[in-house]
Amino acid sequence: MPIKWILHWQPNPGTTVNSQILSEVSQCAESINGVKEGRWKSTLSFYKAMAREQTIANDFPRDFVGISLAEQPNKYFLVIRGQRLVVEAESSIQMIMEKLQSYKTRVALNFEGNQYQLGDFQLRVGKVVPMHSESLRGIVMEMEYLPISSWEKSHQIMGEFFDLWQESLSKRSLPGHFVHIEPNFAEYGLADQYSLQHTAVQYASITAQMIATSQSVQATRN
Amino acid sequence: MQQAAAPPANQDAAAAGDAPPKQVAQALEQLGQAGRLIADVRLGADRLLEALFYVAEEPHHQHSAKCLNLILKEESLMRQHLQNLSAIGRQLEESGVLNDSLRSRSNSWGLHMPLVCPDGAVVAYAWKRQLAGQAGASAVDRTRLALKAFTDQKRRFFPHLAEDSVVESAMKKHCSPLPISQEELADQKTLADILSHLEKEVANLQAFTYQRLDWSKRASSLPSAANESSTDSSKEHSFPSTSKWVQGSVSTHAPDKAAVIELLLPSVFRAVVSLHTAGSMDPDAVAFFSPDEGGSYLHARGFSLHHVFRHVSEHASMALQYFTCANPETALHSLLHWVCSYQTLFMKVCSKCGKLLSMDKQSGLILPPLKRPFRYYTAGRKSAKSSTTENCSMDLIKAFHISCFSEEA
Repeated sequence: MPIKWILHWQPNPGTTVNSQILSEVSQCAESINGVKEGRWKSTLSFYKAMAREQTIANDFPRDFVGISLAEQPNKYFLVIRGQRLVVEAESSIQMIMEKLQSYKTRVALNFEGNQYQLGDFQLRVGKVVPMHSESLRGIVMEMEYLPISSWEKSHQIMGEFFDLWQESLSKRSLPGHFVHIEPNFAEYGLADQYSLQHTAVQYASITAQMIATSQSVQATRN
Repeated sequence: MQQAAAPPANQDAAAAGDAPPKQVAQALEQLGQAGRLIADVRLGADRLLEALFYVAEEPHHQHSAKCLNLILKEESLMRQHLQNLSAIGRQLEESGVLNDSLRSRSNSWGLHMPLVCPDGAVVAYAWKRQLAGQAGASAVDRTRLALKAFTDQKRRFFPHLAEDSVVESAMKKHCSPLPISQEELADQKTLADILSHLEKEVANLQAFTYQRLDWSKRASSLPSAANESSTDSSKEHSFPSTSKWVQGSVSTHAPDKAAVIELLLPSVFRAVVSLHTAGSMDPDAVAFFSPDEGGSYLHARGFSLHHVFRHVSEHASMALQYFTCANPETALHSLLHWVCSYQTLFMKVCSKCGKLLSMDKQSGLILPPLKRPFRYYTAGRKSAKSSTTENCSMDLIKAFHISCFSEEA
């Protein structure tokens, strides 16, 4: 399947993300001839272990996430970043987890927004909001190049497209910029051929990054 | 009023072979019929409403039974009209009038017909003189339409004609970017020789030959993005009967009956070349696709789903025409070699502007440099370098964006 880069918004120090930035980003996509196609939504849930005793619960990994992706709603992806594990399961696994009661959802995030088609590129701009809330926690972007499935082969083109994008965005003087982190897919046992598991790993990665950023902002405030 | 029953099937067959003016006349007639049917439907609806109101106001009137009969009769008439209308609509769709498919048909003359001028006048015929004769379009529009029609047809049927023939003669002394020595050319007499040599020269290239039917089976069996599931990790779908130089699972005829050549460079492109007659060395069509594409539309005259490959295919068709006209004997050899120069499609920056991606002004799309010069790319010239440098000489082939490309390159 086509390769995809997932980016997240890094606000400048001292600023926070707001919906104005989101609309500017959307307008920028349209200004480079992006055609709005529809909406998309993915979700990510942080799980915590439910053990009888708190001490045992602390032994379990805290970075266990479950991801449901817009393009394949009948699949569910489980990622443990610390252990570099990613598993693809049917979405019915959530029911099993519910029944087992071994892991419960701590926090759930929604990534949703609009999708734009730019020729062979597909852009998705989305806001990050906690489930059952309206407060904007972050902005994410998906950059997909449809003709290529090889991560390695696409690197140069995606890099240039990212630069092109940053350049058009910089004209709007927004308080922040998009960041692309590239997880080491090989560590997760993933091949060069792109798949939804690659996407899941990228989401887990950027979510961790966004949380780390906001926590450091909070720390500096206190 | 003309009876608008479903026309006999032979009319469609005749329509396919007719020249555009007749097709257009038929399409206009059908549109006229459709217009009349729509008017009938409107009238019928009015009558129904009238009758309904009448009956509603005076339910026990002596004429109410008559009205009810009228309503029933009208309803069946309307139904008939609507069925006829949908039949005409289907015909119009098939002939390409109601959608854009006329453009892609092989007997299309490259123009959107019927053409509706800004003031509503319908241009039935596409010939320059008739365009000029249409009162509706302004002089500027008429000229523009005529010029567009002419350049489209020229580009389609005479792609090797240079835009600027003066420059072409001056550049004839320019060296070709990838000379192939005479000795090598003498060795590559058969298709099998050419393909095996190509595979040695270009890393990761896989070349296969097929009979036409076998290729269409293979194309349909290729996994496409639509039916690919994420758990399908084995991307290599081995088509059991596809072994090199042997076509078909049942037949065991010699490789020289090949009609379709597939050049697959994994993760970059899949090129399909069709030979004019099975077993010959005359290429007659070429098309590029993404290696992930699959389906019956994957053939030498098909179009990729991706813009980049559609543009490359268009450029490749021009290259094919050029090679065929310049030297028919080495056309296939040159073409296949030239096709392999696209191994750098997503990596090589434009030789003019130095960037990989650029926004193409005409289409508004962001594309990589997808034009490779073919004009002076001749096989059979003595190579200045030894053949061991063949691999790096592929890198010498320049690449250009659509707007950066000029015929002088």
